Amino acid sequence: MIHLIDELKVIPGVIGASIVNSKEGLKAANFPSIFKAERLQVVGKHLLKLYSVGRLNFDDLTDLSLNYDESVVVARELEKGTLVFAICDPSFNQNLLTMSFNLLHEEYKLGNFADSTIPTSPNDVSSAAVEVGEAKVSASLQGLFMEMKGALGKVLGPMAGFVFDEVMDEWLTLGPSEFSRIETLIEQINQEILEPEKVANYRQLITPLLETFQKG
Amino acid sequence: MATAVDFVERINQIEGVSGCVLVKDDGTLLGNTLGDTEDYSGLLQVTSGLSADIMNNVGFSYCRYICFNRDNMQNFYVFPIANYLLGIVQQTDCSVARMLDKVYHLVSRVSTGGAGSHS
Repeated sequence: MIHLIDELKVIPGVIGASIVNSKEGLKAANFPSIFKAERLQVVGKHLLKLYSVGRLNFDDLTDLSLNYDESVVVARELEKGTLVFAICDPSFNQNLLTMSFNLLHEEYKLGNFADSTIPTSPNDVSSAAVEVGEAKVSASLQGLFMEMKGALGKVLGPMAGFVFDEVMDEWLTLGPSEFSRIETLIEQINQEILEPEKVANYRQLITPLLETFQKG
Repeated sequence: MATAVDFVERINQIEGVSGCVLVKDDGTLLGNTLGDTEDYSGLLQVTSGLSADIMNNVGFSYCRYICFNRDNMQNFYVFPIANYLLGIVQQTDCSVARMLDKVYHLVSRVSTGGAGSHS
């Protein structure tokens, strides 16, 4: 996730950037060490609140900017409950930052943030049917889910299909079926697997699947 | 109170300002050239509080203004002025930098007590 906000940091005047989620807290940051993570997290949460309040008044809200004497804080919502913010010198190029936010936002929507957190390991893939609502899940994601379900079969055996479908139903009720939320789904599956060794084994099995999916 | 009304009128005359609202930090309305003032009063109060929290958390010294950027380009600005809050709606086709300069100039004069003798 860090590599895309690193691209923001190369913009003249940008001191650093961060991605924050209302539940998970700070997801990525590339500020100088003088900016403590706890403080950045508080800033992020305040910005999330500010964005929510702004959204109540303005349906077409895009960015927030807070102009202080020393610096400017600019924030953009990536999805509900998640935003990216940058702290900049007052002389920063706002047009360039806005354009970079647009690009980053597109990348985020495509789910291109999860790759840096997923370890690599080649493994076999088996396929099985995934019974999820077609209206809710894109065709490409359905393919991935089928492979993940097959991988779970290697770890859990015959109960895998039932477990996967149950978890999938719950996951779909919690948010959009986007690749950016795949780690939440995996975490839910891990909670069903329970045994750490099997959790690690499942991660090994699905890592190449996730990588292949991301490469398109 | 007459000074507050004058101040709002002067802000409203700045090129690029579509309308404005001035409230005390407790939400009391002092002047308004916008509709839906009650909503904006709440927004002004919450915005001011959160921006001050961020300022104190990071260690910034002074908040000049907060901007809500909108797709329709009618951006909304919040200027904290001592115990008052000024909200401004920007016109879609204007020189934003020039408008902000003029507003900030007037706000600075109010902050330093200059506006009272000039209005």
